[in-house]
Formats: sequence, structure tokens, C-alpha cells
Amino acid sequence: MTTKKILLFCFLSVCQCVLAQNKPAISLNEVIVTDGALKKYSKTLQVQVLNDSMIQRNYSSLTNLLRYNSLLYLKEYGNGMTSSVSFRGTTAAQTAVIWNGININSQLLGQTDFNTITPLGYTNVSVRTGGGSGIYGSSAIGGSIHLNNELHFKKQFQNLLRMNFGSFNTQGYYYQLIASDEKVASQFSVSRNSSDNDYSYPNSNQKNQNGDYYNTSLNGSFGYKINLNHKINFYSQVYDGLRHFSGTLASISVSKYYDLNTRNLLEWVGLHKDFTSKLKLAYVTENYKYYENKDKDIFSEGGAKTKIIKYDLDYSPTKNFTVNSVVDFTQINGFGTSINNAKRSIGAASLLVKHTLSPVMQYEASVRQEVATNYRNPFLYSFGLVYQPLEMYSIKLNTSKNFRLPSFNDLYWEGSGNHELIPELSHQMELGQELKINALKFSLTGFYIQTKGMIRWIPNETGQWTPINTASVVNKGVEATGSYFKNFRGHNFNISLAYGYTSSVDQSNQKQLIYVPYHKMTMNADYSYKNWSLNYQYLFNGAVFTSADNYYRLKEYQVSNLSVYYKIGELDHYKIGIQALNLFNENYQTVEVRPMPGSNYNLTLTIKY
Amino acid sequence: MKFKIFTIAVLASTLFLGSCTNDTNEEKSLGAYDNGFFIINEGGFGKANAEISFITNDFVTQQNSLYSAINQGKLLGDTAQDFNANGEFGYIVMNGSNTIQIVNRYSFKSIATIDKDLKNPRYIVFANGKGYVTNWGDGSDATDDYIAVVNLTSNTIESKIPVAEGPEKLIVYNNKLYVAHLGGYGSGNTVSVVDVLTSKVTATISVGDKPASIEENQGVIYVLSSGKASWTGDETAGKLQKINPTTNMVSTTLDFALTSHPGQMDIENNKLYFTQAKNVFVMNTSDTVLPSKALFTTSFSIYGFAVNNNSVYLADAADYSSNGKVVIYDTNGVLKNNSTVGVTPNGFYFNN
Repeated sequence: MTTKKILLFCFLSVCQCVLAQNKPAISLNEVIVTDGALKKYSKTLQVQVLNDSMIQRNYSSLTNLLRYNSLLYLKEYGNGMTSSVSFRGTTAAQTAVIWNGININSQLLGQTDFNTITPLGYTNVSVRTGGGSGIYGSSAIGGSIHLNNELHFKKQFQNLLRMNFGSFNTQGYYYQLIASDEKVASQFSVSRNSSDNDYSYPNSNQKNQNGDYYNTSLNGSFGYKINLNHKINFYSQVYDGLRHFSGTLASISVSKYYDLNTRNLLEWVGLHKDFTSKLKLAYVTENYKYYENKDKDIFSEGGAKTKIIKYDLDYSPTKNFTVNSVVDFTQINGFGTSINNAKRSIGAASLLVKHTLSPVMQYEASVRQEVATNYRNPFLYSFGLVYQPLEMYSIKLNTSKNFRLPSFNDLYWEGSGNHELIPELSHQMELGQELKINALKFSLTGFYIQTKGMIRWIPNETGQWTPINTASVVNKGVEATGSYFKNFRGHNFNISLAYGYTSSVDQSNQKQLIYVPYHKMTMNADYSYKNWSLNYQYLFNGAVFTSADNYYRLKEYQVSNLSVYYKIGELDHYKIGIQALNLFNENYQTVEVRPMPGSNYNLTLTIKY
Repeated sequence: MKFKIFTIAVLASTLFLGSCTNDTNEEKSLGAYDNGFFIINEGGFGKANAEISFITNDFVTQQNSLYSAINQGKLLGDTAQDFNANGEFGYIVMNGSNTIQIVNRYSFKSIATIDKDLKNPRYIVFANGKGYVTNWGDGSDATDDYIAVVNLTSNTIESKIPVAEGPEKLIVYNNKLYVAHLGGYGSGNTVSVVDVLTSKVTATISVGDKPASIEENQGVIYVLSSGKASWTGDETAGKLQKINPTTNMVSTTLDFALTSHPGQMDIENNKLYFTQAKNVFVMNTSDTVLPSKALFTTSFSIYGFAVNNNSVYLADAADYSSNGKVVIYDTNGVLKNNSTVGVTPNGFYFNN
């Protein structure tokens, strides 16, 4: 009913085009964000920005950052091991991870392992809800995670060194250099993390066995203003990690796994009168090596190389109207022990429009058509509307059609891959409301996603596991968030709460999908005074089913973390922090028979000059 | 709770049976789990949800999750591959845990766990007062496969006999082990003969590709090979072969059609039963051609298979994460019973 009214209202408003708006002066763009659509075409969805101070609290992995600061559900095959996400009850391959505007989901798996991404090194990490395939391509069904490096063209020179030491011989070293002026902006960082990860399982005499890991990340961002009209930006990343895959309550493990991922993006930005053109070239590689027995020189391996060329022309004749036309071409080569040099080429054209109809109403729309070598591609669209009748209140509506491509493993895995697979398709809609009363903020969002042709691996008649387009799934849910801040005589309070209810039902048997909790709640409470700050995190994760018949389940869990920081001196040169993680020693598992650590502690020291 | 009711039911039925059978035929029950069959629910690999179910021969009483119910909630382990018994002891081979769980097969009380010197253990048999367990070693290593020799007194592995890659099912005949090399991660095509007295491989017999089942009946060794699947790019036909254990030579070979890959085999009363996808076939052991028509066809791919006392026992692994089913037919293909059991049922042990 509400939806109908809004649509009617929208239809009427379109007739009253707002004319003769003043054009903005060409700005020098102090801050460069290469993922432009995240700011420009995300007004009708929910975008949550996880800033540097949040990253500092949950620095160890993208898994932990999102687990404690968003409504996404994450599961790990043991602490620090393979990690996957469920966004709004969708599957792991239905969330896109976007690095500086480029989709970096593994081409082999179709998903990202959230423990192979170190959140330190990004300016921020954003969580964008809902469909985004029209902009970001495959997998943006539940939503997308954006890893952003922002470049600031202002005079600064900063060195930052950060070290952390904690339980289970967990160590982290992070160094960052920022050197910029009005013409050149550069940022470089290197991080190294390692852990013996040999924690005792709570209430048990067993230890986490064979779970040690280390990883190194290098990030570089570089921007150069050639003149007022031309800029060149370059972003680069290397991730190199080794994990010994840990055992379970009932089996020991001797395996190990190497990851080596590289990402490079070169961007040439041209600013002309009403036009902004961006030419992007990207080269992304992924490689893995798996040793069943770490002591033997026998392994399986695989990888992919992705080349992307993208041209984005932005035309903004008025302040209130922007249209982007984007053409891109992607070529992917997959290879490895079980994939015999497979190739995929995708060409795509999309059109995006943003239009402010009146001071209180704005819409965004996109269409995209892909043409690919190995499958028939759907036509994708999105339409969103934001209506803000009052300064303090706004309504957002968004509907879209999105897709998820079969991965290289789905298509080409020797003996199992299925060449007949077609993309998973989703139709979805969400309606959000936001209310701001001074320091109080609320939001309430309902969503509906229908996915058809979901790809699942099941054994065929001869017992061979093979992927097929099978289930149709309907996801419905509600997300509520609230936050409040208060400053009182130098005391700062900030509290934010989020709760999500998610139903994700396989239409063939009317059962909830496995590893989708009905309930998740997070809370972050901050207090700071003078040089002290304190943070308390709370997570409630509802029970999940672990079998398709919903007979077996993992019980719900609650985890609390407490952090205290102290800044030494007035100039913030030194900061010291102590964290107690899993404060109440909750015995919990995110994947069956793989207990997570009980109470553990760490110490952080940050030096900035 | 369920177990209590079950125990009462068993006690009551024993009393009832006791009162109406005549004295000469009276069989004394050896425990709660005598006169029924165990179902091996292998569980999901890495999930440690393997369990054993028990159903009485008359199908009246059933109990799932037997091991944890009897043993204070203890986990049986990861991926139960095989169950076999020697005397009063049951041996459950845990492929994912690299252990053998030893229980009293009448009370199901845990006796011991062998947790050393096993690597990817598959199947167990008993001969010459010892246990013999096939082991793949690391699946990715074709050269580290072996038969573990179990000391049944100390419940330890006393020695290892190196064999070719992928030793799977095995039988004992005349103090010799006949070990079918299914091939592990790859594809095997031999049967190794191991003399249990010398612990030496004394012969290697070439058979079809992927020998999945091996049985002995009246002094003849039967081997059913599935053949290589089409996806290998080198599809081969399944074979049913007879081996003469005196000469260790294949005496008869019956070839299946190229694309028809048979699965498992069992022999009872000189009738040879085998599965192929959803079908169960039967033939006389003396037949010289393969049957062209199935005895009956089920609605599921057959994951576990056995023939016992004129009944055909089938296990349905369903989706491999949910509870599976056990479906029992008589030897004419008439449905007798259907029960929901644990996750991924793969086999049976008849505890009589």
C-alpha cells in the first residue's frame, strides 16, 4: 500500500521538472574516490561507512570488522581460516566485494574469503545494501562491500606505525606513509599479521590444532594532477598469506594453504565542462596452492588473471541531473590443477541516471546489458527513489534485477563443472525509512529478494558432485538501526544498535537456508573523555541450521569485546590500547565442530608523526 | 529419554518372547542391540556428525545417534566409513578422524579408540587374530598407502603393509586378504593378495577399472568394477569378474555396457545382487550373462547396499547434509520398511 502511494507520488512529480538550476563551478576535487558510484548512485539504498576508528577496533580481518559492525553474518572454518558471508540471507557468492570500484570476488569460487583481506590500509570500508549488479556486475545481490582508498590533495606528510601483540602469540605490524601536496597525493602501507592461533577450546581439554597463519599486505595509492583537467590515479595491492588449516573437535589437520592476490588499477580522469571521463585499466590476479600434507611437496593449485578496461563518461548538464554511460570489457583466464585453461570474455554497457526532481525528491536508475562468451546474459536494471518530506525524515525505495555468474569452478572444474549453467537471477525490492532527531537516528528497512536458478553442488546419479541451477529462494527481512550521541562537558557518549531479522526460504521444501540466522544484533557503545576512550561491542548471533532439512543446528551465541585506549600527550603522537575479546568466554562455533577462541587479550601501540 | 523407553520396550519384548517361545529354541539376547542391524551414518566430511543407528530385525524399534546416547554425549567422530565386528567387539572406522572406535557391539559402550598410525582408514576385516585396515595415506600421495595391522589385545597398530594406491574394500579367504584398489583420488584396477601369515603382498591381479566391491562365495572371489566415468575423458566399461583363489587368475569376465557403471554388490544363497544408480539387479552366481532387467528401481541413487536374510537393504543419502533413509525390500522387490536415520547412511552391519 505504502509502495503504491510512493509510486503514484513519484509519477506525478516527474511532470514537474525542475529547470534552470545553476551549474556548479568546477571543483578541484580535494578528495578522490575512485568508486564514484558508491557516493553518486547509492542514495536510495543503505550505505554504512565503517571508518578508521572502527577499523582500528576490529583490525584483524574483514571478517571481524563486519561481524561486529554490520548485520552481515560471517562464518569461519576455524578462527582466521576460510571465511564467508551471508548478506540478507543470500549465499556467499551473492555478495560482491569491490576494491576501489573493481569487483574482486574470486573468479574460481565466485566469492571472497573475508579472512584474506586486512582492513588496515583502507581509508574506509563501506557496506552497501541491496542490488548493485547494474553498477558492479556479478554477485551484488545481497549487497556489496567496498574497500576504499581515498586520496587527499593537500599538503601533508605522515608516518604511522602500529603494533599489536596478543594471546596465542598473535602479532601485527602496520606501517603507513602519506605524502601529498596540491598536485600529488600518495599513500603507502604495509601490514604483517601472524598468529600461532593455538587457543584452548573453551570448556574442553582440546586445543585449536594446526591453525597458525601469517599474511602480508602491501597497498599503494598514487594520484597526480597533470593539469586542471587531467588527473592520473594508480592503486595497487598485494596480498600474500599462508594458513595452516586448523583441525576440528574430531579430526586433526596437517594441511596448508597459500594465497597470493594482486590488484592494480590505473585511472585517467578528464574533466571538461559538463563532462567527466574516466578511463580505467585494471589487472587482477589470484592464486592458491593447497597442500593436503604440509610436510610433503604435493599440492594442487589454481588461479585466475582478470583484465578490465572500462570507460565511464559522466555528463552533468545541471546540478540536478547526472547521466553516466559506461562501457567495459573484461577478460578472465582461469587455470590450475583442476581447471584446464578456461577463458571468459564479457562486454557490458550500462547507463546510469541520477535526477533531483525537487528539493525533497531524487531518483536513480540504471540499466545494463552484458554480452559474454559462454552464457546468455540477462538485462539488468535498477530504480530507486528517495523522498525527504521533512528535514528529519526520509523514505527510500529501491528495486532492481541482479545476477550472479557461475564461477570458473562451477563451469570448468574437471569432472564436475557444468557448462550448461546459467546465471542466478534475482528480483528485489527494499523500502527504508530514516528519522533524525538531533543526535538520535533511526532507520528501518524491509527487503524482499527472489532468486531463481540458484547454483548448488549436488551429487548426480553416479555420485559425482556437480553444480546445477536448482533452488528458487525467497529472502525477506527487516533491518533496524539506531544511534545516539551526546557530548557533555568533555564527556562523549555514542551508542549504535542494529538488529536484523532474516528469513531465507528454499521454495522447494519451505526450509530456511543453512547458515542463515533469523536474528542478528550488534551494539557499539563508545565513551571518551580527554585522552581516554572506551568501547564496548556486543554481538548476538541467532541459531543457524546446518542441514537442509533444518534438523541440525548450531546454537546462538553472544560475544562481547571491550577496548580501552589512551592517547599520550596533546598531539596524538602516541596511542596505546588494550582489548579484551570475548570478554565473557562464550563457547561458540560459527561452523560446526570448530570452536572459536574464548577470552583473549591484545595490546596495541600506535605512533604517528 | 528415548533410550529409556527403548530399553523398557526391549526388556518387555524379551519377557514377552521369553514367555511364548518354547525352551529348546530359546535364544538368549546378548544385550540391547542383539538381533537387529546397525546403520553406518557417515556424516559430512569435516562435520564430525557421523553416528550409528540401530533397528531391530522386526523393524519395530529404532534408535538413532547410538554412540553419543550410550557414551555420555561423546562424538563418534568424523566420517564413519565402515563397521565390522570381531567377537563381542564392534570396530567403527572413522575416515575423517583417522581413528577406529571400538565398542561392545551388544551394549554399544565405548571400549577404546585407536588414534595412532591410521591415515584415511577405509575398511576393516579380521584374520589370524588380527585386524586389517585399508588406508589411503594422504589422498594426494599415490605412494603412501598401506594396510594397518591391528593388535586386537592392545588395540594399537602393530605394523603396516605397504600396498598400491587406493586400497578400499577387502575380504579374507584362506588366510589371505584380497584387497580391491578402487584407487583413492585416482582410479585403480587391481586386487592385491596379502598373506596374513607373512604380511607380504604375494600377488597382484588385474581387474576392471575402479573395483568397488569384492566378495567371496563358495571358494570363488567376485569383483565388481564400476569402470571409469565419462568425465575422465577415458570412459571404460564396468566388469563383473570371478577370481580363482588357487591360481589368483581371473576366470570369468562379464562386461557391462560402456555407460552403465555398476556400484555395489552382495551375494546370498548363490544369488548375486548389484546396484547401478537407482536400480537393483539380481543374477545367479553361475549365470554367464548379466541381467538385462532390474529387479526393482528406487526413487534415489543408492548409497549404501546389503543383502541379508532374503532382504535387500538400501541407504538413501538424500542431500548429504540432511537425515538420510534406509529402505528395505524383499528379494522380489516388495517394499518392507522405510526409516529415517542419520546423515549420509552408507552401510549396514547385521548384529545377530
